[in-house]
Amino acid sequence: MFIYRGICRISKTAANYNRCRWLYSSASHQQLSHYSRFTSPISTSHEVLGCRVNNFLISRPFSSGGPQPSYEGSSINDPVDPFSLVADELSIVANRLRAMVVTQVPKLASAAEYFFKMGVEGKRFRPTVILLMATALNVKISKPTSEGVVDMFSTELRTRLQSIAEITEMIHVASLLHDDVLDDADTRRGIGSLNFVMGNKISVLAGDFLLSRACITLASLKNTEVVSLLATAVEHLVTGETMQMSTSSEQRSSMDYYLQKTYYKTASLISNSCKSIALLTGQTAEVATLAYEYGKNLGLAFQLIDDVLDFTGTSTSLGKGSLSDIRHGIVTAPMLYAMEEFPELRTVVDKGLDNPENVDLALEYLGKSHGIQRTRELAAKHASLASAAIESLPENDDEDVQRSRRALIELTHRVINRTK
Amino acid sequence: MVVAEVPKLASAAEYFFKMGVEGKRFRPTVILLMATALNVQISKPASEGVVDMFPTELRMRQQSIAEITEMIHVASLLHDDVLDDADTRRGIGSLNFVMGNKISVLAGDFLLSRACITLASLKNTEVVSLIATAVEHLVTGETMQMSTSAEQRSSMDYYLQKTYYKTASLISNSCKSIALLTGQTAEVAMLAYEYGKNLGLAFQLIDDVLDFTGTSTSLGKGSLSDIRHGIVTAPMLYAMEEFPELRSVIDKGLDNPVNVDLALEYLGKSHGIQRTRELAAKHASLASAAIESLPENDDEDVQRSRRALIELTHRVINRTK
Repeated sequence: MFIYRGICRISKTAANYNRCRWLYSSASHQQLSHYSRFTSPISTSHEVLGCRVNNFLISRPFSSGGPQPSYEGSSINDPVDPFSLVADELSIVANRLRAMVVTQVPKLASAAEYFFKMGVEGKRFRPTVILLMATALNVKISKPTSEGVVDMFSTELRTRLQSIAEITEMIHVASLLHDDVLDDADTRRGIGSLNFVMGNKISVLAGDFLLSRACITLASLKNTEVVSLLATAVEHLVTGETMQMSTSSEQRSSMDYYLQKTYYKTASLISNSCKSIALLTGQTAEVATLAYEYGKNLGLAFQLIDDVLDFTGTSTSLGKGSLSDIRHGIVTAPMLYAMEEFPELRTVVDKGLDNPENVDLALEYLGKSHGIQRTRELAAKHASLASAAIESLPENDDEDVQRSRRALIELTHRVINRTK
Repeated sequence: MVVAEVPKLASAAEYFFKMGVEGKRFRPTVILLMATALNVQISKPASEGVVDMFPTELRMRQQSIAEITEMIHVASLLHDDVLDDADTRRGIGSLNFVMGNKISVLAGDFLLSRACITLASLKNTEVVSLIATAVEHLVTGETMQMSTSAEQRSSMDYYLQKTYYKTASLISNSCKSIALLTGQTAEVAMLAYEYGKNLGLAFQLIDDVLDFTGTSTSLGKGSLSDIRHGIVTAPMLYAMEEFPELRSVIDKGLDNPVNVDLALEYLGKSHGIQRTRELAAKHASLASAAIESLPENDDEDVQRSRRALIELTHRVINRTK
């Protein structure tokens, strides 16, 4: 039986998300294998039903050490919850990540650890996708063989795939650290941003440190194509951020430029990570492309809805969102669509969105336009492209594989239906 | 290689590679010499008189190491200047001064990722690992410098470790990478590493001396920029060994010019400068010895490169700026 190294840590897992909206269910205290939780009562043929809304909870303050009630098995119509499917493994990944950012220099260590601390890990969206993809491509957590001996080979492979999740998260956090320096941000993930708390210098260094740790971990995988993919993703992050910083007025009104920037900033990392998973498991180029396409379209859909929510917030009507994009002069998809319908809106935007009057005017135009709706449609289109990629994967009868694939498809729905 | 889609990023990244501003190109010089010294030659005409116009593929891969090393070095300069709020670098306005901190951070990240991509293309994961470790060491060294306690700041061991991280690690690991790419034995790889490491340390120690002495051999004509930034280097550390009371002066704070002057007095009375030169000379000759221990080779180019590498160890300690 595969013993979870993290089982004792799982019981201490206390997620205190201020902005995390996903339920993060911890494992039960039973020393069960990962799979037995799911063999009954959930019928494997059940698709996602309309009870998703149960999983969108406002985060509650959790006392540390308290196990969360599992939502599995509370109804026979329970959808596959992508996050609980990989929750155990995620804990292992998270703990390894924390161990990996330890360094000789205490100041650097506390800086680097800043966002890996318990309670501040964010939604862990990327690692979830990556771990699900690993299973969906039929690379399993090892099961006992018929003799009762644990299959060590697939454990090693699984560990390598978990490394991709760790690397991706390190790159992501490094980019957050640098972005916060760039943006002079005060808060991140509900706590003081690192640069606010400890200064720009240590934030730049901590970001560099995480990047170099990511490179070392990448090197240890001994697969230079994967190194190349993820290094490209880092370059894309930089390019996307620069594109955002330095747009001309022409570029700022261009949907193409915006989508390219969004690919670089949001989708490239996840798409290249998914592709890396496929490569590490020796899949065909075709399967690798499907994995890539899933990640890319999921990422794009995610960002487009993010753009909508920045305007609408938790309501479907305008103006309840935080409006932080528009206030920073960042013109996103809904506004770009509105500009297509109302060319005069472009003049308003060009005049400068640091002026609240122009912001209000722009919002008026947006309200009159179909910008929000068209953005949602675009997001839905990308979400279904992502789903289609999963459905095009080679057939596989294994229960776990099918379940993971359903979970990945479930994610595409959640990404576009979420309200925050 | 530093061309980017985004013009602003491109001009930022290219900033220090422009003609005239490339710096001494010290590292690439060492790396290319090492490549020849380990007997990988620029291809010569074959005996039939057919000229092989292109360098061998292996040579190009080794040139990549030189490029990667320089990209990493420049990336660290860009980030360091942000960290230090520096105004000038290599005689021109620092990038952050000219274009802002944001683009400097981004340009540094861009160069790092380009370096990683180039590294990956070499398809040698041990080399990737070595160079990635060097990057981590750069970061660690810079952090050590930023966050020293009074105890650490008075410690020669801490200082040498930090110096290894900040200055020597990149060049030593690059030299080792050259050896690995050539398929040399572990022993040869280690000799290449030792050369780079000792050369780097010697270089930095003389740098420390010159910061005090400048172009003259006497004290106080140098820029004194280390001491004024509160950075305690080898000469001062040696002086502290001879005059324990110097330590309290330093602890009081070197942002006060009175304390700086007092510290310089002590330094003048001590053998700090001399002992640092001696330490540098010791490392320089360790570097030489590493080259001399390389496997014998009769080829002219190989011998010439090895002599050049040894010559470098002399220049590093005899330079006056």
